[in-house]
Amino acid sequence: MSVIGAFCVTVMKDVCLNERMPGKCATCAQVCPHSVYALNMETGEMKVQNYNACVGCRICTEFCPTNAIRINPAEPEHYTRYPWTLGAIEEIHYKALTGEYLLRGFGTHGQTPNFDMITVVPSQIASSAPLDKYREECNMEVVIGEGTCQNPMTLQLPFVWPAMSFGALSKEAKLALAIGAAMTGIATNTGEGGLLPEERWYSHGYWDEAETEHIWEPGGALIVQWSTGRWGVSRDYVNRGDAVEVKIGQGAKPGMGGHLLGAKVTADVSKVRGVPVGSDALSPCRYYDVQTLDDMKHMVAFLRDVTDYRVPILFKLGPSRPYADVAACIEAGADAISIDGMVGGTGCSPDIVTQGVGIPTIACIPPAVQALKDYGVHHKVKLIALGGIRNGLDAFKCLAMGADAVGFGSAAEIALGCRVCYACHKGNCPYGITSQKEEFRARLDPIEGGKRLANFIHATAEEIKILTMLSGHGCTAELSSEDLRAMDLNTAAMTGLKLVGYERVLPIWEMGIRPEAAPSGNGKKHRKQVAAG
Amino acid sequence: MKIYDAQNNDLKTVNSYLKESLNGKPVPLKNAVHLHGLASGLQHGEVLVQGDTGDYLGVLNDGATIHVTHDTGRYLGDNMTGGTIIIEGDAGFGAAQYCYGGTVVIRGSAGDFTATMNKGATIIVCGDVGSEVGTYMLKGDLIVLGNAGKNFANYLIRGSVFIRGQWQSLGNNTRQEPLTPEDLQRLQEYFTTYQIEADPAEFKKIVAASEKPFYH
Repeated sequence: MSVIGAFCVTVMKDVCLNERMPGKCATCAQVCPHSVYALNMETGEMKVQNYNACVGCRICTEFCPTNAIRINPAEPEHYTRYPWTLGAIEEIHYKALTGEYLLRGFGTHGQTPNFDMITVVPSQIASSAPLDKYREECNMEVVIGEGTCQNPMTLQLPFVWPAMSFGALSKEAKLALAIGAAMTGIATNTGEGGLLPEERWYSHGYWDEAETEHIWEPGGALIVQWSTGRWGVSRDYVNRGDAVEVKIGQGAKPGMGGHLLGAKVTADVSKVRGVPVGSDALSPCRYYDVQTLDDMKHMVAFLRDVTDYRVPILFKLGPSRPYADVAACIEAGADAISIDGMVGGTGCSPDIVTQGVGIPTIACIPPAVQALKDYGVHHKVKLIALGGIRNGLDAFKCLAMGADAVGFGSAAEIALGCRVCYACHKGNCPYGITSQKEEFRARLDPIEGGKRLANFIHATAEEIKILTMLSGHGCTAELSSEDLRAMDLNTAAMTGLKLVGYERVLPIWEMGIRPEAAPSGNGKKHRKQVAAG
Repeated sequence: MKIYDAQNNDLKTVNSYLKESLNGKPVPLKNAVHLHGLASGLQHGEVLVQGDTGDYLGVLNDGATIHVTHDTGRYLGDNMTGGTIIIEGDAGFGAAQYCYGGTVVIRGSAGDFTATMNKGATIIVCGDVGSEVGTYMLKGDLIVLGNAGKNFANYLIRGSVFIRGQWQSLGNNTRQEPLTPEDLQRLQEYFTTYQIEADPAEFKKIVAASEKPFYH
């Protein structure tokens, strides 16, 4: 479903200030970044001039002094006229008018298989007794790179902020993420847009570059991303991270590189990325300097060498062929692998790619875990699940399915104030999260944003603690698929979890069939090795 | 001068040796063709490699001078930000990609995708280059004395591309522009510095047609 035409704008004239006193209030027109409202300069009257332009960000409702505006989704029409909904019709009109396909920010919408049809199995008398959330400890620490580098990266809670670049996000949002990480002991990630100077010391909890004034406890970690566009990347850059992440793909647009439209390439972004102001920064879809898996192994080797074997090397995958892709990452020498499901976020992507390419997160985790087990490295090479994870319940399910940590990308943006309008790519985010415009950025205070993010993480950690302990565990590392049940056949078939009532995994999983290998043959080669013992 | 023999040594051992030995004097070494990522991330000093080298020579170089007497493998000088790399022979696929600065001189020929996403380095190839050379270049100079393959300077955004020979086809978003006196002077300075026999006036200059060439 297209974003355009998805919302109905209603202005209640009986309470609208402008209606009673034309010219006295033009707040909605002033704050709307999408020109939904128009002010008649002669009469002072306000009107809705373009209903279809509303993306549902609801900044007008936030600012309206009399609470006169209602933004409602046009959902009933979705049911009555499907598939020819207003959104579908407007999309065709747009293409016919402009010759251009649609872009979208944020991520996938609509129904995709998710965690909702999985339930948590609590402890009772037959299993180990539940633990007391209020009076007993629950260890959630995750260490990445033990035994492979001098300084393994420790996450005090099993969370990361996934890669979100400067350019896609504002400076204020990036710094808020760093502060949020510092306040919770988790890791933030540069994304592929280079490193903001403050990002390093803020993420560690320091106010100053020299790292003498520690103001945010306990201090977090910084992951620097190495990607196909290599924006702002240098020897110095890779040495500033507590880990280096090699980006292969992302959930919202697997098989494509990063998109940063020219509207968001400001002087600051240009300086960091080396792209002319106003010129689109379109990252390549693949590494020009990697052609084979052996090349990837060499890349990992030189990244370890350049960083003096101090920090772990992570990989980030889009949702394609999880078993074969994870196997390839293991062979390349990864210390941790992030796998981003199709609901993962993006600053900008072709609409059809975000909506129709890739596989959901819950279907990525089981084959990824299987690959790790087949190589004998499950929980040694850490698995980080990303893509559409909303709360502690989703996160718990990922951990119990075999992940070691989870990432909150979209949820982090929402915690900063985002209302999910899917228009990040336009650069007009009224909450200052995905905009580079001064007037919008001024609405986001990095320190306040960092506190909101930390609050979200603390609350989510408590949720995981509740679920872990009521399942009879004192540590998230003890969780297993036995702590979960699928509540329908589809979910049981996709995940290999036991089906409620049936209390067994479905026969298709008991047959032990390995997932399909990649066409490149990497997976086939691996299967032969496994078969040969 | 003692020549370090890299044969039978792994990347970590050899690069550690280089980092410890670069203290003002050139460090010679030989038998390094099996190493991919040799002399990575160096910030100063001079390395003299006798013979051929493997892939990713001088990756992330940030100030060192690296001189190779014969050929080098793929991805030479990958993502370097400073320093100089001189190859007396040929370079394989993807030489000098993703570079932000520094100079790469290849006295022989170079493969496809050389100088891809160049963001500020000077890259000189005295022989021929393959196809897709100079793709998505954003800054810097690319100078080719020989001929080029298909899609030369494809989707050029900024920077200058100079070629003395012919191309099979020019890439998207390119146009030819006359050489300026500043161009001629700059080319002559490069040729003098790196002892290359060429007349700057024989070169053609290619620049970007637009800084915003993409569909979106």
